[in-house]
Amino acid sequence: MANMPMEAQVHHHAAPTGFIRKYIFSLDHKVIGKQYYFLAIVSVFLGMVLSWLVRIHLVWPNVHIWGLGAFSPAGAPGGVISPEYYLSLLTIHGTLMVFFVLTTAPQAGFGNYALPIQIGAEDMAFPTLNMLSFWVTFLALCALVATLFVPDGPPISGWTAYPPLSAVGTIAGPGQGMGQNLWAVSIALFCIGSLLGALNFITTTVDLRCTGMTLMRMPVTCWAWLITAILSLLSFAVLFAACVLLILDRNAGTSFFLPSGLLVNGQLQNHAGGSPLLWQHLFWFFGHPEVYIAIVPGFGVISHVLSVFSRKPVLGYKIIVICLLAIGFLSFTVWGHHMFLSGMSPYSGFLFSIPTLIITIPATIISLLWLGTVFGGRLRFTTCMMFALGFVSVFVTGGLGGMFLAQPSLDIFLHGTYFVVGHFHMVMGVAAIFGMFAGTYFWFPKMFGRMMNERLGKVHFWITFVGVYCIFMPMHFIGLEGMPRRYSSFLNEAMQPLMPVHKFMTIAALITGASQFIFLFNLFWSMYKGPKAPENPWESTTLEWTVSSPPPFDNFGGKHPVVYHDAYEYGDVQNGKDYVMQTDPPG
Amino acid sequence: MSSLDGPVSAAAVHDAHDIPSWGGGSLPYAVPSKKLGMWLFIVSDAITFSAVIFAYGYLRLAAAAWPRPFETPSIVNATVMTFVLLSSSVAMVLAVRASSLGKVSGAVGWLVATALGGVIFDVLHIREWLGLIGEGVRPFHNPWGTPMFGAAFFTMTGLHMLHVTIGVVYLLVIAVGFGRRKFSAADVEVSGLYWHFVDLVWMFIFPLVYLLSAKTA
Amino acid sequence: MEHAETAGNKIVFSVWFGLLGLTVFEVILAYRQLPLETMLTVLMFLSVIKAALIIAYFMHLRYERASLFVTLIPALVFVLIMMTVIFADSSRLAHMRSLVQ
Repeated sequence: MANMPMEAQVHHHAAPTGFIRKYIFSLDHKVIGKQYYFLAIVSVFLGMVLSWLVRIHLVWPNVHIWGLGAFSPAGAPGGVISPEYYLSLLTIHGTLMVFFVLTTAPQAGFGNYALPIQIGAEDMAFPTLNMLSFWVTFLALCALVATLFVPDGPPISGWTAYPPLSAVGTIAGPGQGMGQNLWAVSIALFCIGSLLGALNFITTTVDLRCTGMTLMRMPVTCWAWLITAILSLLSFAVLFAACVLLILDRNAGTSFFLPSGLLVNGQLQNHAGGSPLLWQHLFWFFGHPEVYIAIVPGFGVISHVLSVFSRKPVLGYKIIVICLLAIGFLSFTVWGHHMFLSGMSPYSGFLFSIPTLIITIPATIISLLWLGTVFGGRLRFTTCMMFALGFVSVFVTGGLGGMFLAQPSLDIFLHGTYFVVGHFHMVMGVAAIFGMFAGTYFWFPKMFGRMMNERLGKVHFWITFVGVYCIFMPMHFIGLEGMPRRYSSFLNEAMQPLMPVHKFMTIAALITGASQFIFLFNLFWSMYKGPKAPENPWESTTLEWTVSSPPPFDNFGGKHPVVYHDAYEYGDVQNGKDYVMQTDPPG
Repeated sequence: MSSLDGPVSAAAVHDAHDIPSWGGGSLPYAVPSKKLGMWLFIVSDAITFSAVIFAYGYLRLAAAAWPRPFETPSIVNATVMTFVLLSSSVAMVLAVRASSLGKVSGAVGWLVATALGGVIFDVLHIREWLGLIGEGVRPFHNPWGTPMFGAAFFTMTGLHMLHVTIGVVYLLVIAVGFGRRKFSAADVEVSGLYWHFVDLVWMFIFPLVYLLSAKTA
Repeated sequence: MEHAETAGNKIVFSVWFGLLGLTVFEVILAYRQLPLETMLTVLMFLSVIKAALIIAYFMHLRYERASLFVTLIPALVFVLIMMTVIFADSSRLAHMRSLVQ
């Protein structure tokens, strides 16, 4: 029987030489983590510009946007965004943000960088696979961005790509030919990249922890990345299948998602036997775990950072781990709450709303434990800490909206309105992004060997924090008034009194968006001109702070760290320090 | 460090001091990382196949009239294909055993035999596909009933055939590499896991696609 | 303590014969002209048994640590069970189609 301990394998690869090996096709998890991070940075700024176009169009629909007419003469003749192009911009905005920002940086960006060091390993379990994951993801991004440049433009079907619209081809509208094909290929590639990354993360966390690093001594971040990886492994598989079936429907004449008797623009489509609802089931079976994939790494970072900057252990570490596991498990039971109005069985609707309400419990417990962690601590208000505290605020605010949407009876009114848009932007577009900011400000010294500017950071934080509330809170109220989402204009009499709210939100969006350039400047300036970072600028206990900033190529300089303490020994002052490193000898 | 070649010897095990398996510094599942990685891949790929099969089930259950066109020769052909794949799995088991005992030429021989089984499977399958295409079956149309019959058939069997073909190439690469002592017995075992998985998927596709569409009247 | 990388010949060949036998049984069953639901249930049940045999003996999971089994299989089974919820809509679709005809 195989019940004896086996010694973990350790990679011994020499330091890379040559520019290509060091910076392009690198096997080093630290480089790959940065590559993912910068891929996310590019994606988020592109996605943000698209959101500006969307918001500007809502308030000033006839304005001639400089340069847009030349970029897309068909979509924006004379620089005026057409209704179809509005939907295209929305689609690419959503796809970029959900996939290429929120599913990359929090997990593959920070996780790739920090996980191996935090568990005392030299690298991830499969470095070559890691490199492959990144470049497949990069290819996926190229395919998606290409949709902006093809003659017919990007698809108009939203990031959710519902058939029949997404499956019937060019007859459905602009962007539904090459654009939608490229979208489907992009997402299919992304699924592959995520899958490879997921199995790398799980194997690394299980097999490569150093001596003494039990699962319960891992920082919360490592638990979060592990659980996210498990969710990815299980859910992206379904999205991949759905994309394959969509590609076949579009190009091979199959009818997985297309029923018979379908009239599009007056023309009877030559399809039969399929069901659009099937796509929704497959998509959201992936789609709901996906939003937890987007937020759980943020939970990990915030739990971690709040402890470091409160100089107090994480309150209820074990409970947080159990809650994260519960959230992961439950995330597979709730997908139908995106489909309450789809025409699916009403019994299913009831079945889905119960776990949707239940899943708020572990999330609430975690939020309360965060407050408990901070309460009574000796707070250090670094920019990182500000974003962590801000995360608690925005996540709770946004999450509360979810409780309304969880109930089918309320969702009848709220589905497809700005209430939903406000909800998911607060939790994903704000909270998860705050998690990324917190992670950036926290690990920047380790990643680049320099400190970011705190003053610029605080300015960035305050404008952003106030700004996001100004952008997304009003959406809840106009949603309650019935304002529909994904509309490029509101001609209805009843909506007119609400238009000033849109103007307010747009102006807030432009200002908040502009302030992100403060962050971008801070990021790049500090990389080259920031003050040199010490080994442990935050006086944090975990393993990445025991090595130089930046770490040597094999993380621990050939040594094998041994861990004696858990990850959050803060508080008692010993030898003039109020913290004990995980690797400090016992006693 | 710890070798990936062959089973863990008793001596090496007693050298590893009493670390609890989840305590860090050891492999909790007592399998090399590559093997765990392949298992995880298999779980994910199983879910992908399942999603496609569930989509087929969903549409067939909802369909008015699903054709049952497979006459006895087709069923016999598919049964033979099943036998071939099952036998290739046995060959794979023997290859893994030979490799773990250090019998290089034996392992390479069994690996090639396994790959050959895959090739025979592919050939029989392609012959069948060509036959059906000749009878007018397309992803968008067939002479017998709902057009989704062809779509589901080609998608499921096509996805499976793709996995078999990739498996054949994979096994041959491992065979050559193991023969040249570049790969270890653990690598052979990992490839075996993939191959058995491909066989396993067929255990579901065979009854769901062929037997449930057998012409029994 | 060593463990063999594969099960012994007796077990491997027994499993092989068992799988072939189950296959033949399935083919015979297919010609019985049972109602579709019964046929589907029985065939799926047999397929699960065949899959379990392959996983346990060919893929060697029976001889690995129990924790490996617990990590991999329950999660997979859970996802598959959750996916069956979609069939509620499939049978509703069938019902609606029968009403139209």
